[in-house]
Amino acid sequence: MNILEVKGLNKRFGGVQAVADFYLDLPEKGIVGIIGPNGAGKTTIFNVISGVYKADSGQVLLAGRDITNMEQHRIAKAGLGRTFQNIRLFRGLSVAENVMTAIDPLTKYNIFSALLSLPGKFRAEREAREKALHYLELVDLIAYKDWQPENLPYGLQRRLEIARALATGPRVLLLDEPAAGLNPKEVIDLIELIARLNRDLGLAILLIEHRMEVVMQLCQYIYVQNFGKTLASGPPAAIQCNEEVIKAYLGDEE
Amino acid sequence: MELLASVLTFTAINVVAVTGVFILTGLTGLFSLGQGAFMGIGAYVAGLMAIKYNFSFPLAACGAVVVGLIAAVIVGLPTIRLRRDYISLVTLGFGEAIAALLNQSVNITGGAMGLSGIPKQTTLLLAVTSAVICLLLVWGFKCSRYGRQCLALRSDELAARSMGINVNQVKMVAFLLSAAITTYAGVLYGFYTTYVEPVMFGWTKSAEWIIMVFFGGINSLTGAVVASALLTGLPEILRAAAEWRIVAYCVIVLLILNFKPTGLFGEYEISLLSLLRPRGNRIREGEGS
Repeated sequence: MNILEVKGLNKRFGGVQAVADFYLDLPEKGIVGIIGPNGAGKTTIFNVISGVYKADSGQVLLAGRDITNMEQHRIAKAGLGRTFQNIRLFRGLSVAENVMTAIDPLTKYNIFSALLSLPGKFRAEREAREKALHYLELVDLIAYKDWQPENLPYGLQRRLEIARALATGPRVLLLDEPAAGLNPKEVIDLIELIARLNRDLGLAILLIEHRMEVVMQLCQYIYVQNFGKTLASGPPAAIQCNEEVIKAYLGDEE
Repeated sequence: MELLASVLTFTAINVVAVTGVFILTGLTGLFSLGQGAFMGIGAYVAGLMAIKYNFSFPLAACGAVVVGLIAAVIVGLPTIRLRRDYISLVTLGFGEAIAALLNQSVNITGGAMGLSGIPKQTTLLLAVTSAVICLLLVWGFKCSRYGRQCLALRSDELAARSMGINVNQVKMVAFLLSAAITTYAGVLYGFYTTYVEPVMFGWTKSAEWIIMVFFGGINSLTGAVVASALLTGLPEILRAAAEWRIVAYCVIVLLILNFKPTGLFGEYEISLLSLLRPRGNRIREGEGS
């Protein structure tokens, strides 16, 4: 059973076909990777799936439900969490509050108990905070809960983004270059973290990545994109010796 | 003594208005240049209800706030989904339209002659009590899921949407709340001065409040209160300088914003809790978002 299915997705920006006829299957509890050179349309795929851009044509199914072109916040509520290539944390909110914002849309208390600070608000706030701290524990950020996110080292900011995405209660997690800008030690920690989230939470993960060690160690299946088209797809071992892929990455042998 | 009481009353009324603007500009990052018009709606609607139909102050105030909310819904529904800069433009247009409407409907509002004879019902006590209540309400809002979502979408709307935040809805809630509070400030104002004219409620009024929010620090309600007190009192203190006082006022505002871009208070909030226990390793950054 596939938790996420993309069928025949197309997205064009003016004269550029950013994504052409893209198909993807993400099995339940699976980890699938998308690789490809810069400008191959990988992030565009993420943006269409998560509703930032409208698809020109094609379909996105989340657990059998059609989420194509739904509003972004509805897609998030339907169970799709994501992180961003260029980190997008909320400034002006502490680390714990950043995670709480992802819980807030699901919190049940109305504007009047917020304004009048009725008892129900405090109960809900305490619960939301406990949940947020739980997610911070999952990614080992609990020690930084009262920090401002911009003061965290880069690697920890990436982890905070993952914690925030987890707090939306996703069934599928999209990670956009989670290892970008990390040092080798942090990359090893990240691989361990993603594997743990997949194992312990049974989370299906779709990731875009340039670092081959991440993709090769984590993914069960890989899609290779080039100029918007899928060049090849298959398990890591098959991709590593695929001639087309080597050509796209290393250039042609003359 | 009377001057002091009057300055304090105006300060309290300004605090009410600025708490409204704080929600919109400080927390949500939206600039409404039509906020003064809501004050105008408050003053005129409540004033007319009291003069023509002898409504008591509480009823007139409620009526005015309801009218203010209706106006906010009419302006907000089509605008709130627009980009932020367009929201400023549309609210500017709305504000000037309301001012023009007040000017033109001479039969009802007295036009440019103004509306006089509003009963003097706002006392220093009422103004201060109102300010305190508004502060408590807005504080409750800031420290709730609504406040957090406002701050989140101010910082990054795209990320906020992907976290499941219904950005348009949260903006609308902020806009309505802000309009209601500002309308109430207008009621207090009208019932204090007993005379209002349309020119008082143009965009300069809105700009003045936005300056106060920035002056105090856009993340800080404490700052907003201190700024409205300082900036309302300042022209009185500078009275000796006669025609130079506007210049002095501007220079002071510019100096503060130049040397402390996050405003007087940045993100700092006075709270009983923080006075009782140290806040741990929370690190504050100089720059806002």
